[in-house]
Amino acid sequence: MLPNNEVRGPTMRVVPESVVPRDITDDFTIAASKLRTGQLVKDECFTLFEAVGALEIMDSKMDSGYLGPGENHAQALEDDFDLMRELAPEEVLGIMDELLCHEMAWHMGHPLSQTLFTSLYLDRLLWPVPKTLENAHFGRGQSQSNKKVPDIVHVVLRAYCLALVKCCDFVHARVTTEYYFEEEDFVTQLYNRTLLSQFDSKHFHDLLDHAIRWVDEHTDTLGEKVAEAIRARLLFRREFLWGLEQDVEVIETRSTAQFLSCLSHLDFLGKSAVLGKEVPESFSCKIQRKLASTVPPRPMVKISFEDALAHLRRLCQDAVDLLEIIDYRGPYNLKVVIWTLLSRKPQPSVYIRSLVQSLIVSNRTILGAVPVKQFLYDELEQIVLPSSILLQASADEIEVPSDPRFQIAQHMDVFTKRFSQPFVDTFRSACLNRCRIRRTVCHTLVDWDNLQMEAEDLDEQLRTLSNEPPLQLANGDTTYSYPLSSWAYHHKLSQFRLILQLGFELSIYAPEELPGMYWYLSHICSTHLGHIDRIRTFTVATAKRNLAELAAKQRDAIERHTILQRSIQLLERMTTQIVAVDAFAISLHALYVLLARHRVLPTTSSPQAYSSNRLRYEIRMKPFLQITLPELVPYDEYHREAVLEGDSDDIVLERAAKAISEARKAWEATLANGAFMRDSDERDSPALAIEEDWKRDIKDTMRACIGASIAIETVKKALKAQADSRKREELQAPQSVNLRVTIPEVGSKARWHDWWVVPQVSPATTSKS
Amino acid sequence: MDENTAVQYLDSLIGRTLRVHATDTRIFVGTFKCTDAARNIILANTHEYRYPSPSAVRDAATNANELAAESAGTAQNNIKVSMTSRFIGLVVVPGQHITKIELEETPQLGRMRETLRS
Repeated sequence: MLPNNEVRGPTMRVVPESVVPRDITDDFTIAASKLRTGQLVKDECFTLFEAVGALEIMDSKMDSGYLGPGENHAQALEDDFDLMRELAPEEVLGIMDELLCHEMAWHMGHPLSQTLFTSLYLDRLLWPVPKTLENAHFGRGQSQSNKKVPDIVHVVLRAYCLALVKCCDFVHARVTTEYYFEEEDFVTQLYNRTLLSQFDSKHFHDLLDHAIRWVDEHTDTLGEKVAEAIRARLLFRREFLWGLEQDVEVIETRSTAQFLSCLSHLDFLGKSAVLGKEVPESFSCKIQRKLASTVPPRPMVKISFEDALAHLRRLCQDAVDLLEIIDYRGPYNLKVVIWTLLSRKPQPSVYIRSLVQSLIVSNRTILGAVPVKQFLYDELEQIVLPSSILLQASADEIEVPSDPRFQIAQHMDVFTKRFSQPFVDTFRSACLNRCRIRRTVCHTLVDWDNLQMEAEDLDEQLRTLSNEPPLQLANGDTTYSYPLSSWAYHHKLSQFRLILQLGFELSIYAPEELPGMYWYLSHICSTHLGHIDRIRTFTVATAKRNLAELAAKQRDAIERHTILQRSIQLLERMTTQIVAVDAFAISLHALYVLLARHRVLPTTSSPQAYSSNRLRYEIRMKPFLQITLPELVPYDEYHREAVLEGDSDDIVLERAAKAISEARKAWEATLANGAFMRDSDERDSPALAIEEDWKRDIKDTMRACIGASIAIETVKKALKAQADSRKREELQAPQSVNLRVTIPEVGSKARWHDWWVVPQVSPATTSKS
Repeated sequence: MDENTAVQYLDSLIGRTLRVHATDTRIFVGTFKCTDAARNIILANTHEYRYPSPSAVRDAATNANELAAESAGTAQNNIKVSMTSRFIGLVVVPGQHITKIELEETPQLGRMRETLRS
């Protein structure tokens, strides 16, 4: 992932003075007429594919500049709406709210040309690009220069409009400096206009303050209620501008005051919206004819005021809760807060996600406080290298090249150079939209596979330098810890799991694939558990060696002891969580095997379909094909495991029931452990709001567990009933099992958790005949 | 002109800047990329130029008059109003909507062509 700051948008056309046009109409026409039908004369590099993207001039659907037969030139380009006319206070209110709707629609990912840039008021302020802020007024470029713009329009509406544009400017600036997907998350196109970025925001505050004073002075003439409503909108805009202006500075200010204050206005904004009177004539799609735009004309986007407020409310709330990620408490906790915040439903808006990206890392510093190298070292210390010389060596500042510590420091520098960016990216990738997270992780998986191999080389060199004592295994073999590659492998396995779980969330798998995919998830989990066990073995061995030193009351031994215990604690915590995932996956796997065996699992592909289990498996394993470790499971083996070949229904049922009760216990233990690794003296949660989200997520998973146990019970009963009836009427052909199965969609109420597809199983009522 | 010379001629224009006038008086200025027997023209990096609207001309005229009045000089007979332009990228102008095609060239190039022809 790289910063996304490529320059977009058209450049000015520069025409040298001396250019003269020569009429070639006749030559051209004659030459073209000599061509055969279908024959093209074209630029060698120009492809048909590109040609398809060309806008057809004079086609009303493609050509934004096209004027219909009835439209005369003047009407078509200039709206008759008089921007200098007097507006009733209710109309000003209506326009403000309409603008807010458009602003939020833009935040949601619609282009400016279909939202804010349809406003005639904004158009007059922004085009031609004003040289001074005083220049941006509604009377500009008009012949009736002596006509005065009414105060309510000039003082109030203008201030609101300008401040709104400045708000957009801050949002635009933040999003464009970070990694986002154009047209998918957001449209940054400005159509050759500016969002007043050249003017300092102080001026906008002055304008708003002036407008607020004006409203206060004219409450009587405006009417008390409407005046109050207009005032609230101006106040809100002032706070919102402050909040967006603060942006990444929040690291220093640690202030949520602005967005909290925004939130406090929203209820009243919602309630007072009815007082407004719409002025639909002040918005027009015709402005698209004047915008530098390479796309066909498109209709205005209309969202309701309630939807706009809902979006705004979430944005402000997310901006407030964002503060909880800023206090650095180690990489593990940071990962939890970031993931939890960004997994909120609906997903935080692109502005928030961009802001989080900037907060996570800028100028090679995490959260504006921790150097990337330290961040990486903290992670290594927590997971694979508690109290290791490898991490301390560089701090010792040895300058004798023959000293092993000097050489260790050099090797570790190589490691840091290679690994810090990919490691930080595992945090940043959470800021993408959900589909892109999965896609990105699928790509980075390959990098991590390579990184693991590089780390292994480093491990071997470092081992001799640090004189690592080998560890004797139970079978008599000796082995070394390979800390760096172990750590890389740990991350890779986490990414495997994430790819699968996001697959469930994004509804990638067909119902008939669910047995296999849950088996695969449990397979990855058990591999991961084995790997963590290996890491733990070494950490425990180090802790044992340290015990001797502890007894001998060595200076650093106590400190080392604490660090080692913390690391063991973290490994323990991760184990609990992966066991929980593993057990749940095993249980769902078994349940789905039964449903598939008895042909009650819905399928999306028809029997004649080209797709087959083998082909589907091939496609699902595509991200993993290039990965050397863990090895790819061959299809035949996968198939045997996925259908639980050779196990009777009873055994499978037993397996499902046992696993689900184990899963419930493990999830309870996970919940009890809490979201964060805490220092023993820490009492209050460091991130209350986000911890609540985290708890809700675990509780939803536990609900899904309960749903699964009920489904298992239902299947058990139905299978028993089927067996009984078969005993009674032995001669009859085997009856199909009496069950109806539906797979709840993501977002529906019955889908307790996105990552856990628990089927709804109920006795079928109709098949008794 | 036979087919070969026709193709040769059109080929020589590829990559040059053309000004294509459309039936609705707009002018499209862009890099010539492709054409066919129906005289459809594909232009890249195109700017659309439009004649100023009557009201813009009127405003400009009023302003000019006011200026003239202020400076107490004689009223000007000619006023200058620039065409409005905007970037629209890759476009295809269908042959039936084309009224005029112009080639942009520098005077030197024009002279060179003349000498070559003679």
